[in-house]
Amino acid sequence: MRRLKVTLPAGMQDYLFDECFNKTEIESKLRRLFFLSGYNEVQTPQLEYFEVFTGIKASIEQEQMLKLCDTDGRMLALRPDITMPIARIAATKLKDEPLPLRISYIGNVYRNIFSQSGMQSEIAQAGLELIGVANAEADAEVIATAIQSFIDLDIKEFQLDLGQVEFFKGIIEQAGLDSETEDEIRSLIERKNMLELEILLKSINILPAIKEIIYDMPKLYGNGDMLLAAAKISNNEKCDKAIENIRSVHKILKAFGYDSFLSFDLGMVQTFNFYTGIIFRGITSDLGYPICGGGRYDRLVQEFGVDMPATGFAIGIKRLLMVLERQNSLQQIPPVDVLVAYEQNQVDRAYGLVRELREQGKRTEVFVSSDVAISPEAYALKKRINEIVYVSGSGVTSDILIKKE
Amino acid sequence: MITIALAKGRLADEAFKMFEKAGVDVSGIDSSSRKLIFETISPHIRFIMVKPSDVPTYVDHGIADMGIVGKDTILEEGKPLYEMLDLKYAKCKIVVAGFPDKKDRLVTSAHTRVATKYPNIARTFFARQGETVEIIKLNGSVELAPLTGLSDFIVDIVESGRTLIENGLIVLEEICDVSARLVVNKVKLKTNSTEIRKLIESISDVLGDAK
Repeated sequence: MRRLKVTLPAGMQDYLFDECFNKTEIESKLRRLFFLSGYNEVQTPQLEYFEVFTGIKASIEQEQMLKLCDTDGRMLALRPDITMPIARIAATKLKDEPLPLRISYIGNVYRNIFSQSGMQSEIAQAGLELIGVANAEADAEVIATAIQSFIDLDIKEFQLDLGQVEFFKGIIEQAGLDSETEDEIRSLIERKNMLELEILLKSINILPAIKEIIYDMPKLYGNGDMLLAAAKISNNEKCDKAIENIRSVHKILKAFGYDSFLSFDLGMVQTFNFYTGIIFRGITSDLGYPICGGGRYDRLVQEFGVDMPATGFAIGIKRLLMVLERQNSLQQIPPVDVLVAYEQNQVDRAYGLVRELREQGKRTEVFVSSDVAISPEAYALKKRINEIVYVSGSGVTSDILIKKE
Repeated sequence: MITIALAKGRLADEAFKMFEKAGVDVSGIDSSSRKLIFETISPHIRFIMVKPSDVPTYVDHGIADMGIVGKDTILEEGKPLYEMLDLKYAKCKIVVAGFPDKKDRLVTSAHTRVATKYPNIARTFFARQGETVEIIKLNGSVELAPLTGLSDFIVDIVESGRTLIENGLIVLEEICDVSARLVVNKVKLKTNSTEIRKLIESISDVLGDAK
C-alpha cells in the first residue's frame, strides 16, 4: 500500500538535518563526559530473548514490549531497556573484570505505546551503570554525573528529585500488609492521591500510628529539611536506614557543590519495580515529564547469575531536544565554508586543494551540478556558502560572497 | 504564572466559583463566551478551556500545570498524574446497569456485551472480576443499547438514576464514586512548587470551610 510506504509506524520518527545535528551533539557531549568520568561504552543488540526482560518481578509489563519470534519459534523482544542487557553482560561476560564496573551506553530502546498518546516507541537514550558497589558514594557519583550531564548540555533550571524506595518498604513491612494492598497503596502514594489513600486506610486494620505515616507519605517532598521531618516520624530500622542513606548521599552531593540542584520526595515509590534504594528523576519546568530517571537496583544482576549491587541512570535524548528547543538553546548547523568549482581539466589540482582545505578543518564542498543553468555563485548563495574558490587553467582565484562581520 | 485546564461547561462554572472563593479575581471572566483562553491578573492564572477527556492529556504533557476534571475521565484516560484534591462537586457514580430480569446473566452468560462511553473502565472492571466481555464503545445515550438489543449491560455514569429508571433499567453493580478532582502535573508540582502549593492550599481551605 502506498500509504504505508510513505508513512511511519506509531511512535517512530525520522531525525532530519537540524534535529539530527543537535541529537548527535548531545550524544557526543554525553559520550565525552561519561568517558572522562571513567566509564567505558558498550553496545548490546536491539533484539534479545524475551526472557532477559522478564525477571522474577517483571519491571516492564509485557504489553509494553514489541515482540517477534525467531526461526525456532522462540520469543524475542526489541529491548525495552538497556539496563537489563547490561546486567546480563555484567553477570556473564564481564564477571571477571575488576570491580566496580563503570559501563555507559547510547542507543535506542523500544516500547509498545498506545497510538495517539504523543509518546515515542523508539526512544533514544544515553546512560550509565556503576556495578559492584553498594555504598552512598556510588549513588552520589551516579547522581553527580547526571547533574554534570545537564550542566554540560546547558540545560537551564533543572533539578534532580531524589527518593528512597526502602522508606516505603519499611513502613509496609511494619504494617504487615499483603502484596496486593501494598501495590494499591504504592500506586496511590505515587499519584499523591490523598483521598483514596484515606479511604483505603480506613478499610484496613493496622496500627493508627502507621496509618498516619502512610497517609503523610505523599506530602513528604521538598528540600533537605523535609528529610529531617521524615526522620522524626519514621520509627523502624529500615526507614531510619533509608533516611540515613539518602542523607549521606545528600551530604556528598553538597560537598560536590550540587546542593542547589537537589529536591527530595519520599513519596516517589513506583517507577520500575527493580529499584532497591535511592531513586531519582531529572526534571525541568520546561517539560511535563522527567528528562532522566535512575536509581539503585541491587537485586537485578543476580537474576543473571552473579549477585552484584548496582546503580545507574538513563537520559531521554528526545526529551532533552524538546527542552533545549523550548529554552531556545538549539544549535544551528554550521554552513559549508568553501565551495570549490573547477574547470574539467583541472580536476587533480582541485581535489588537492579540497584535501588541503578539509585538513585545515574547513567544511568544503565541491561544486557538482547536473543543471547547466545554475552557476556556482547562485548555488553558493542558496546554500549560504561564504567563499567560492575557482580552479582554472589560469590559476586559483577566491571570491568572498558575503563579508563576515 | 499557573496554567489550568478546565473542562468546558458546567464543571468550569463550578470551578470558577471555587477559584473565586479561593481568592482568585475571576470577575473579568465571561465563561459563556466562546473564548478558549482566559487570564486572571492576581494571582496570574491562565485558564484553558478543553474537552473533559482532554484535561488529563494537557496536564500529562505539562502544557497545563494543573487541571480540574471528573474522576471518571481520570480513570478512563489512565494518565500518570497527581490527584491532589477531591473538590466534592459534580458527584455521581459509575455503575453497571441493565434489565432487572437479566441480573443473573452477569455471571452465567458466556458472551456478554457491554455498551459504554468508558471502554477502559469497563474492561478493567470486568477483567478484575475474571469475566470476558465484549465492549461496545458508544458516544452517548448509552441506555439505548440494552433497550434495542445492542448490548446486555451498560457501564455508565449516573447522578440521580432517573434516566435508568425511566428506561426500565436498574443499577446492577457500583464500580466507583465520581466527583471533580484537582490534578497536577508530576513535574510542575516540583518545579513550580511555591505558586502551585499556595493555590492548592487556598482551595483546600475553601473545601475545609464547606465541610
